[in-house]
Amino acid sequence: MSLAATPGTPGAGADTARRLESAIARLLTLGTRAAVVFILAGVVMMLAHGIDPLTAAIPAFSLSSIPGDLVALRPAGFLWSGLLVVMAMPVARVVVSGVGFFAAGNRRLALVSLLVVLVLSAAVLAAQAMGG
Amino acid sequence: MIAGLVLLAGGVAAGVFGSLLGLGGGILIVPLLTFAFGLPLREAVAVSLVCVIVTSSASAGVYLERHTANLRLGMVLELFTASGALAGGLVAFLLSDRVLAALFAALLTWVAVSMFRAGRKPQAVAPAPGSPEFAAAEAGAPAPGSFTETLGGEGYSVQRLPMGMAGSVFAGVVSAILGVGGGIVKVPVMNLVMGVPLKVATATSNMMIGITATSSAVIYLLRGQVDPYIAGPTALGVFAGAIVGSRIAARIDVRLLRLLFVVVMIYNAVQMAIKALGQ
Repeated sequence: MSLAATPGTPGAGADTARRLESAIARLLTLGTRAAVVFILAGVVMMLAHGIDPLTAAIPAFSLSSIPGDLVALRPAGFLWSGLLVVMAMPVARVVVSGVGFFAAGNRRLALVSLLVVLVLSAAVLAAQAMGG
Repeated sequence: MIAGLVLLAGGVAAGVFGSLLGLGGGILIVPLLTFAFGLPLREAVAVSLVCVIVTSSASAGVYLERHTANLRLGMVLELFTASGALAGGLVAFLLSDRVLAALFAALLTWVAVSMFRAGRKPQAVAPAPGSPEFAAAEAGAPAPGSFTETLGGEGYSVQRLPMGMAGSVFAGVVSAILGVGGGIVKVPVMNLVMGVPLKVATATSNMMIGITATSSAVIYLLRGQVDPYIAGPTALGVFAGAIVGSRIAARIDVRLLRLLFVVVMIYNAVQMAIKALGQ
């Protein structure tokens, strides 16, 4: 359980843990910035197109239509992209953590990370089964 | 165009306010969208979940860079918050708007009372060796070599992990149904039950909010409850507001702000209660 060493404890395990935390921090910072850029672009376009968010119909969410909306500079494409990046960030953190735990020989925490991803997958499947 | 800018401004206000008081924006965004913009409660909850993920990711990056959050403990507990959020996200669609409003009114009241009491009592101090509190903490300490022992951090060990897991499931359910981050449950559980220092508990809870909210946000998204035209400007505003709030925090009298917050929460609780009663 090398990566299970307590933070701040001298030794290779603590160094590995700190490096993993720094790598995840960079991932989250970059991901958040990317999401904000997409959302900002979408909001500016929405305002420029004169779309009233309180009265406009909710644009349907469809992964396949996002690239087309981005190319056509439609606000919905940018907003959906930003929101998807937002939701992907925590998942990416769990995946990177799991890989880091596994690489450090901490199989129990790697398994926990995998279980978290499975719970998220179950949420997607459950929503689709409910008619999402 | 005006509505988009007003949503942005509302998000900024929620972000500043939440950041100054150490809260996620959810507890402020849901009433704002429901009462000021007339959104259905479930849609407001969906937008709020997106907003709390944005603030969680941004603050988790900072906390992990400073090595304040406990990544190992957070990973274990978020398995339970995510499971709770999955259950809560499914249950939320079975509840009527009136039940949701009643639950939100109860949550607002609880937060307002907690905030009021926190402002009146002195800061908790670590138990002294030999005191009953110290003995209780020692009794709850993990066995040497156990999995729980590996989850501790510098200067503290994690206690009563099963109770922490149960509290995390509850936090996930609350988050998914009411659109809040769940920190109001997770932080006290980690700090008071599990013996995690407040600073670490707050940072770890902030990090966990991302996964907790994502577990239910995908359900709302796939069921067509997330409106990007409303979520976009609101999330952007909350993000900007949280940055502003963290920069001006040192220059603001938080006692006065806390009092104002309590008044706003009680007002919102009454409005939610009226909505729940169908008047």
